[in-house]
Amino acid sequence: MNWDWDKLQEKRQRQQGGTPPPRQQNDTEPEDEGQDRQPPRAKRAPFNGRGGGSENPFKKLSQLRFPNGKGFLFVGLGVVALWLLSGIYIINPDEEGVVLRFGKYDRTEGPGPHYAWPAPIESVYKPQVTQVLRSEVGFRSVGQSATFQQGQVRTVSEEASMLTGDENIVNVQFSVQYKIGDPVQYLFNVSAPTALVRNAAEAAMREVIGNSQIDSAITDGKLKIQSEATQLLQTILDRYGAGIHVLAVQLQDVHPPQEVIDAFKDVASAREDKSRIINEAEAYRNELLPKARGQSAAMLNEAESYHALRVRNAEGETARFDALSAEHSKAPKVTEQRLYYEAMEEILANAEEKVLMDGPAASRALPYLTLPGLSAPAAPKVLEKK
Amino acid sequence: MRNNPLLIIVILLVVVVAGSQCFFTVHQTQTALVLQLGEPLNKAYGPGLHFKMPFIQNVVYFDSRVLDYEARSREAFTVDKKAIVLDNYARWKIINPLQFYRTMRTIPGAQARLDDVVYSQLRALVGAYTLTEVVSSHRAAIMKEVTNKVSALMHGYGVEVLDVRIKRTDLPSENQRAIFGRMRAERERQAKQYRSEGEEESTRLRSDADRQRAVILAEAAREAQITRGVGDAKAASIYAQSYNKAPQFYAYQRWLEAMRKSLKENSKMVLANEAPLLNPQH
Repeated sequence: MNWDWDKLQEKRQRQQGGTPPPRQQNDTEPEDEGQDRQPPRAKRAPFNGRGGGSENPFKKLSQLRFPNGKGFLFVGLGVVALWLLSGIYIINPDEEGVVLRFGKYDRTEGPGPHYAWPAPIESVYKPQVTQVLRSEVGFRSVGQSATFQQGQVRTVSEEASMLTGDENIVNVQFSVQYKIGDPVQYLFNVSAPTALVRNAAEAAMREVIGNSQIDSAITDGKLKIQSEATQLLQTILDRYGAGIHVLAVQLQDVHPPQEVIDAFKDVASAREDKSRIINEAEAYRNELLPKARGQSAAMLNEAESYHALRVRNAEGETARFDALSAEHSKAPKVTEQRLYYEAMEEILANAEEKVLMDGPAASRALPYLTLPGLSAPAAPKVLEKK
Repeated sequence: MRNNPLLIIVILLVVVVAGSQCFFTVHQTQTALVLQLGEPLNKAYGPGLHFKMPFIQNVVYFDSRVLDYEARSREAFTVDKKAIVLDNYARWKIINPLQFYRTMRTIPGAQARLDDVVYSQLRALVGAYTLTEVVSSHRAAIMKEVTNKVSALMHGYGVEVLDVRIKRTDLPSENQRAIFGRMRAERERQAKQYRSEGEEESTRLRSDADRQRAVILAEAAREAQITRGVGDAKAASIYAQSYNKAPQFYAYQRWLEAMRKSLKENSKMVLANEAPLLNPQH
């Protein structure tokens, strides 16, 4: 009995492989019947026992939950719908959308939601057109990079060392800020745009420095150098059709090379010294002249006072004399005598030694003068002779 | 067929594979050549979707963008026998992929060729100018001429050279030392000049100040003398005016004063009896 049922099931299985799906419904019923009549172990055997024939795994595949015609259509449509939906994309406000169709540029889209045929038909690039990119030449920011200028800086001396127009060497550190000007050009015209900007920037700056003198480069020519470099760089990039817009070339630092920087600093010191020395001399002058003027005023005043003194004295003395003379003229002899006696009185009172002699005795006396010695001053003598 | 969904899948797969052999896309950044049995067709394909015959024809792609080439630093000599280390780069693109394929085939190959051509042209041109001209005045002109020459030479390879630019024009390290020495000497000279100018000005100011001072004082002395002289004269005139009115009395009075002044203490006197002082009656 088992053998019969097995064979019947086998036949029916084979039929199942070739019959359309609806028939399966019918086929399962006898299987269930078979299940009722046969032990579970034996029942399973026909399903698992097949090893021979390549069509069996395919049949298994086609049996395994494979929907009917309509279901297949739904699934297929679902897949297609998903694929079509994948074509929706959104452009952010700082981006632009560049759409290629079969690899060829088709159109540019602005911000917002858009639709494009999904890959492989169309592909969308979304370059950030407002982002400011930065390239550094002659140095590298360590730590805070890309946006902020402060922070540590490491010099790259081979990049920074440049030759000037007057055959001097100078170290230049600068940065370039740029952004995407034309997204189509930027994406498709040039390979390696970052390297391009750096190379072109270095070449442009070296050309501008090569046309400058070292003194102006270090001091007041920086603005001119920056603007010339910016223009030149933009010209170069435009020639390649790079679609890059140069915002600014900024000189971070321009200084003479390390080996000669002391000599440069000394020049500044020398200028300071010159000012200082001149100031000292002026201070000397400013101190000296007022003093001299003061002295001269003093001298003049002294002379004035001498003048006044002399005149006043003269006036006083002569007034005195005039008064006396007036009196004298009224009684000349008496006045003269009086004056004489007054004077003699005074004189003789002062004299230390007085000798009175008779006239004839005086004439007989030997005039013997003791000169006490050359060191002592000789006392004045008066000899009255008749 | 309808009954076997498996078959539909298989058919779809076949269609897809066949499609991939019949169509090909060229990206915006590329151009393509179609090779038929190894030989390129005489047509370059731009970006977009194109058709080809399956299996017999296959596609070779070329980058149509501006490509870069960087040379290593090399020495060249200027007309005034100065050595200069040049560092340059070039930008080029493939304009004729057919020719390019026939002659160069690959980009590294093209770069090697470019290297030779650029270096020889640059060296020749640099050798025609002086150092200053190469670095500054004629730099742009040299670069332009090199670009033109190199582009003309590379034209046969289907390549257009857009730009050859000199990046670095540096001097070899021995010359650098010499340059540093010169720069130092130049600065020292300047420093000395400033300092001596300062000294000069300082000395001038100081001596001028001294001179002015001497003049002021001398002027004052002169004025003072004059004033004194005037004072003396005036006094003398006053005296004379007064004494002239009674000259004899003045003489007498003056004699008495002189006696008073000169015969002071410690005088010794010898007087005769007949002296008028001792004999008032006469």
